[in-house]
Amino acid sequence: MFDSFRKKKSDPTVISDMLSKQRRYDSLVRAMHGDIFRYAYWLCGDRHVAEDITQETFLRAWRSLDSLKDEKAAKAWLITILRRENARRFERKQFDYSDVEQEQLVDVLSSSTEENVEQHLLRRQIGKLDIEYREPLLLQLIGGFSGEEIAQLLDLNRNTVMTRLFRARNQLKEVLEKSTVRGQSNG
Amino acid sequence: MDELQFRRQAYGEPNSQDAEFLQALQDNPDREVFLKELKQLDGKLDQALKVEIPDGMADKLLLRQQLQHHQQQKRKTGFMMAMVASVAFVVGISFSLLRIAPVDLGEHALAHVHHETVALVVDQHVGVQQINAELAAFKTLGGAKFSAQPGKVYYLSYCDFQGVQSLHLVMQGAENKVTAFLVPQEDRMLLEANFADKEYQGMGFQRGGSYILLVGERQADLDYVKAEITQTFI
Repeated sequence: MFDSFRKKKSDPTVISDMLSKQRRYDSLVRAMHGDIFRYAYWLCGDRHVAEDITQETFLRAWRSLDSLKDEKAAKAWLITILRRENARRFERKQFDYSDVEQEQLVDVLSSSTEENVEQHLLRRQIGKLDIEYREPLLLQLIGGFSGEEIAQLLDLNRNTVMTRLFRARNQLKEVLEKSTVRGQSNG
Repeated sequence: MDELQFRRQAYGEPNSQDAEFLQALQDNPDREVFLKELKQLDGKLDQALKVEIPDGMADKLLLRQQLQHHQQQKRKTGFMMAMVASVAFVVGISFSLLRIAPVDLGEHALAHVHHETVALVVDQHVGVQQINAELAAFKTLGGAKFSAQPGKVYYLSYCDFQGVQSLHLVMQGAENKVTAFLVPQEDRMLLEANFADKEYQGMGFQRGGSYILLVGERQADLDYVKAEITQTFI
């Protein structure tokens, strides 16, 4: 009796609905997982935590995939979920990741060439940026969002976002310049 | 656009396609050099931000989703089963509750007579011992019985009165046959002294710890049988 009921429920249209949902989800995951993981990584500074957050984000995305009408908005939507997921992590337990990230980042690279040294330095520095400067920069560089879109995502006004982007780049630029000066004096 | 504004804009969004910004860029060749530097910085930042993605991350994500989806569907089927079970349970409960609801005896007596037309046709020559034997089987009647033959009895059987066993008799009235029901007393029953529909008259009264309902075509027959029963039924 229940078998027949189940069969009735899964008629062709339902199956094709399910399939197309699965297909949409597949492409969403394949297209976005890199950016989402990187965003998560730079948000929390830990690869494992970033992986967990990414998992949670995509699971949540599956549950509410039907509410995603505009495929273009997919990234903004995922990032919104991700930020909520990240905030939830802090509600659960307050870890001090700011210590972890700098230690951790040292291991990421074997710095042999000058370029790598520079990149290493930049990574350290991005990790050190205050979260309020770091996040708009991540949204701009990883997410490819405009100032207006970042303002919407972070619930700030556009001028604040532009100021923060300015300061973020300014800090990073200064560090790089200092390092080259130091490098020159060393060499 | 003054220099400060230009620099702010350049730092904020080096790749801005804003017309005013592009114009400002052309106004001064130094600005182009400045912007180039910033774009270089962005290039380096882009590279720096590209941390390595864990191996097979996309597949892992899809696997987790598929597993969870599967679990959910299983849970959903379980939920459906639980729903079906509880609906069946509620239906069962409400049926048994219905039996406790007040019973209008008169209405049922009429319905019963209409339904069981055979009873008014047959003649089983029922004797008083036979009736008493049936009555004795009713524990709820408290040993009530007929002390003598209550006139001619054509038909005798059990019948169900909304879940209560009762005795169905067809007796000879003054002229026509009268149907009598002996129903053990219960609180939930409503007994009306008189009831009727288009075809039949009915009356109800209490006697010997039970309700007695009579249904016949004319009042005279009912009165006749009532007298018979009140004399013989104790």
